Amino acid sequence: MALLEVQAIGKTFGGLQAVKDLSFTVEPGEILGIIGPNGAGKTTAFNMIAGFFPPDSGSIRFKGEDITGRRPWDISHRKIARTFQLSKPFGDLSVLENAMVGGFHHQGGRGAARRKAEEMLAFVGMTPQAAVEANNLTATDRKRLELARCLATDPELLLLDEVVAGATPTEAGVMMELIRKVRAGGVTIIMVEHVMRVIMGLSDRVLVLHHGETIAVGAPQVVSKDPTVLKAYLGERHVQPGNS
Amino acid sequence: MTQPASRNGLLYAAPAAALLLLLFLPAVVRGDYYLHVLVGILFFAYMASAWNIVCGYTGQLSLGHSALCGIGGYISTLLLINLGLSPWLGMLVGGVCATIVGILIGYPCFRLRGPYFTLTTIAFAEILRIWAENTEEILGIELRGAQGISVPLKGHHPLFFQFEGKVAYFYVILAMLLMVLAVTFWMERSRMGFYLKAIRADQDAAEALGINSTRYLLSAMALSSFLTALGGSFYAQYFRYINPERNMGLDLSIEFALMGIVGGQGTVLGPVLGAFLLTPAGEISRATLGGRFPGLHLAIYGLVLVLAVMFLPKGLIQPIRQCLRRPPAGEAGTGTPEARSAAS
Repeated sequence: MALLEVQAIGKTFGGLQAVKDLSFTVEPGEILGIIGPNGAGKTTAFNMIAGFFPPDSGSIRFKGEDITGRRPWDISHRKIARTFQLSKPFGDLSVLENAMVGGFHHQGGRGAARRKAEEMLAFVGMTPQAAVEANNLTATDRKRLELARCLATDPELLLLDEVVAGATPTEAGVMMELIRKVRAGGVTIIMVEHVMRVIMGLSDRVLVLHHGETIAVGAPQVVSKDPTVLKAYLGERHVQPGNS
Repeated sequence: MTQPASRNGLLYAAPAAALLLLLFLPAVVRGDYYLHVLVGILFFAYMASAWNIVCGYTGQLSLGHSALCGIGGYISTLLLINLGLSPWLGMLVGGVCATIVGILIGYPCFRLRGPYFTLTTIAFAEILRIWAENTEEILGIELRGAQGISVPLKGHHPLFFQFEGKVAYFYVILAMLLMVLAVTFWMERSRMGFYLKAIRADQDAAEALGINSTRYLLSAMALSSFLTALGGSFYAQYFRYINPERNMGLDLSIEFALMGIVGGQGTVLGPVLGAFLLTPAGEISRATLGGRFPGLHLAIYGLVLVLAVMFLPKGLIQPIRQCLRRPPAGEAGTGTPEARSAAS
């Protein structure tokens, strides 16, 4: 059984159809990459899965259970975690305290939350920065902190929204290693990303969104040569017949 | 681990010393006036701390807490007059009523942010005050409108919250202050404290981590409302007279908030510090210049607030905390993260 089944979800903002009839499934242990030009509806899809707003139509099932329209905290307790495109650290808390907020997800007191937080900070390699105020972190460290905070809630499905955006190639490499480690720990991942090297290197399958619609799904090497995809990204003139 | 331990000790030793001093102060202080000022300081420290539980930790500025104070005062007094119920029990009833009101007001207000939240809390509090000022009686219970109600005298009767002299009141409000500080201390370190601070920093991110923000905001509101009403009952019993202007006027809300903000909101001892600085400042200006310049203490509060927001936005407690916490030069960064964060 698929871990996540998205069935024909749609969302309209005013007159703009942000996501149209989007369907896909995610198998346990998989990394699904979602790509698409700006405004394709990637983050909107994430927001609907994570419960930030309900889809206008369609349904979302997680582990066979209908979670359509549930609220974010409810989704989180069903073991789906997300990061944000613009990272949202709790700025006036320390790195450790940030991770502890995730750690309190479980029953058990402050001690348990703290142990979980320390474990996750060690996992993402931020132990030396534990006492730093989150406001003082670099952009990439904020992303790493967000990842640690999410992992402290013990998710089964992780939604990563552009975690390498703005990173240097070295930092992106570190983040890729981390994502591999997270998956190796049994977490299923959906990632939205613009950096092709990352998406091609990590994804088992890639889904391409354009104007809120799926235009291609499949293995990274296949999708990257799909003429519709190239057209969406580069425009008609640049796709020469027989180029693939 | 060893070095910050002594520093940590100092962090707890300073308040402990202040407490010891306070415990013996009534033995030294002569004259009812000074004792009266001390009771005032402790009362405002208590109220600012109760306010801080919701406003300091959620970052939303309520100026409606005077209504909760008034509810506590009125309900305990009316129960005493009409049913002969001791204010010790009446204040608990008042606390429960204020909790319900706090939740009912908080539910719509917490959907708003910033100034909109503040204005709505003012509106609710003012509606209640104006209603009380213009209501002579309701359901056969005399409220006496703007005239106010006197608490019937029972002489020295501890069971009815009435004492000879001011010393007993001093210890009662001191005990109440210690209770609210203990509650704040516990809350700050619990799941609830972490969650409130997370919501304050970023509500979306908090919700994505499984925090039902409405539930936690309303819990904080309920706790703060209950404690504020207890303080309101004390205020009524201490002065033995209540009226809407004095017990639920907007002035009171502003004073609670001001002391919390100037002292350092979102910290356990910040509001206490604010009350210890601002109450005497207000009292002195009223005592020495009050006749000639009515309302001067408000101007002083305003000035202090402007200075505090400009130079110490996290409150007067911030530099003190930093002094106590900063590792000596050369040792920075050598402590383990655990040890360093233990001091926070």
